[in-house]
Amino acid sequence: MKKTLITLTILFTLGMLSYGQVSDPLISSCAANAGADAKYLKDFRIQLGNSTTQSELRYKANMSLWKSTKYRFSMCNEENSKGQLYLVIKDDGNQLILSTFDKKTGKTYPYVDFECHKSGIYTINYDFTDGQQGSGVGVVSMIK
Amino acid sequence: MKGRVFLFLAIAIFGFSCRNSKSKTTEFVFPQSDSVPVSEAEKLSPEAIADISKNISSPVEIANLLQTLQIPFSQNYLASSIDAGKQSTSFDKALKLGILGADLGYLNMYEKTGSSLEILSSIRKIADDIKVGQFFDFESIKRLSKNKSNLDSLLFISINSYSKIDSYLRSDDRGQLSALMIIGVWIEGQYLATQVLNLYPNKILSDRIGEQKIILNDLLLLISPYCNRDHEFSNLCKDMQSIKEKYRDIRITYTQGDPVSVEKNGGLTIKQTETSVVNMSKEQLDGIIEITKNIRDRLIINN
Repeated sequence: MKKTLITLTILFTLGMLSYGQVSDPLISSCAANAGADAKYLKDFRIQLGNSTTQSELRYKANMSLWKSTKYRFSMCNEENSKGQLYLVIKDDGNQLILSTFDKKTGKTYPYVDFECHKSGIYTINYDFTDGQQGSGVGVVSMIK
Repeated sequence: MKGRVFLFLAIAIFGFSCRNSKSKTTEFVFPQSDSVPVSEAEKLSPEAIADISKNISSPVEIANLLQTLQIPFSQNYLASSIDAGKQSTSFDKALKLGILGADLGYLNMYEKTGSSLEILSSIRKIADDIKVGQFFDFESIKRLSKNKSNLDSLLFISINSYSKIDSYLRSDDRGQLSALMIIGVWIEGQYLATQVLNLYPNKILSDRIGEQKIILNDLLLLISPYCNRDHEFSNLCKDMQSIKEKYRDIRITYTQGDPVSVEKNGGLTIKQTETSVVNMSKEQLDGIIEITKNIRDRLIINN
């Protein structure tokens, strides 16, 4: 029993130590598939459960976006996700800039290219369609 | 009476049309106080700090802009004088890690990957010294640099390594080193942009320098809790305040407009019609160029 405990402790510690060195494969593949002209900038890892209310988007982060830059926002879902990951960007005045989910048709776009002409800090919101459970990645790249 | 009704209608119509005008302008201003109070910065939650860090810490955006503007690469901008073996304090090491990270981003973006090997070994030494070397995937970066095979993978692994270091430092209760690294990245990016502008005057680049006003307050929020820690932090805080002072009278105004969307090849393209406009005089720009150079050159001196 004691041996098992020691072995488990060692394995757990080794696992924790090596955690930082292992890249998330979904992030790597999503970044790699962003397009030949896309240069990786950053990523957001989104893991959400089921939501009973649908008033607010559940994942929020701030990001500075700069004038004269074209950004590509790509969304990738884990296979077991129930909903589709989508993105909504709002400016610092909470004005809607873009959404990759068309509520009228129910269509979600896998990526969006954004031609930025106003530098500022924007709110990047992610959620899964219909507030469903899901796991996914949002990758931001720069394109020409 | 008729006159009064006409006046009321005129005011109402004028007021309404102003609120809805597409050419309405607004302005970015610093928060009221001259400096960020320590108490305000200390109130920030770990999530808020993580958010600010993530917002600022990309070492490649300025380099990407320079490349897009077809500005030639120059080795002269790099902080080649930094000797990794001569950094004595954690303060120096974390700051230099940021500065070298920005240089690595510049080299990678221009695909000068052969030259990046020297900087990589300095980064490795410094990262190991502050016990974050395990998060930097040196072997993969070195392999990709030597092969010149895949720029995007190289950028991904380099940036990702820095993000991991940043997250780890904050979770390991060493937020002061994370803040230093981020400020190092920013100062070197700012130095690169201002030095290039001296040689290649360009409106887009000078606007980008002026627009740094937007994130300066966030940078100050990151460093403020540590300003009274020791004289090194205190001096850096003063430097950052001096930079902020140079930005005080630069005006950033906005014209409004609705985004235009186009569906193409299964994806969506959004073109923003809203714009930001930087109003910065030559004297103001010269002041920023000068102070950035002075501070950065002082920071890269070896102990």
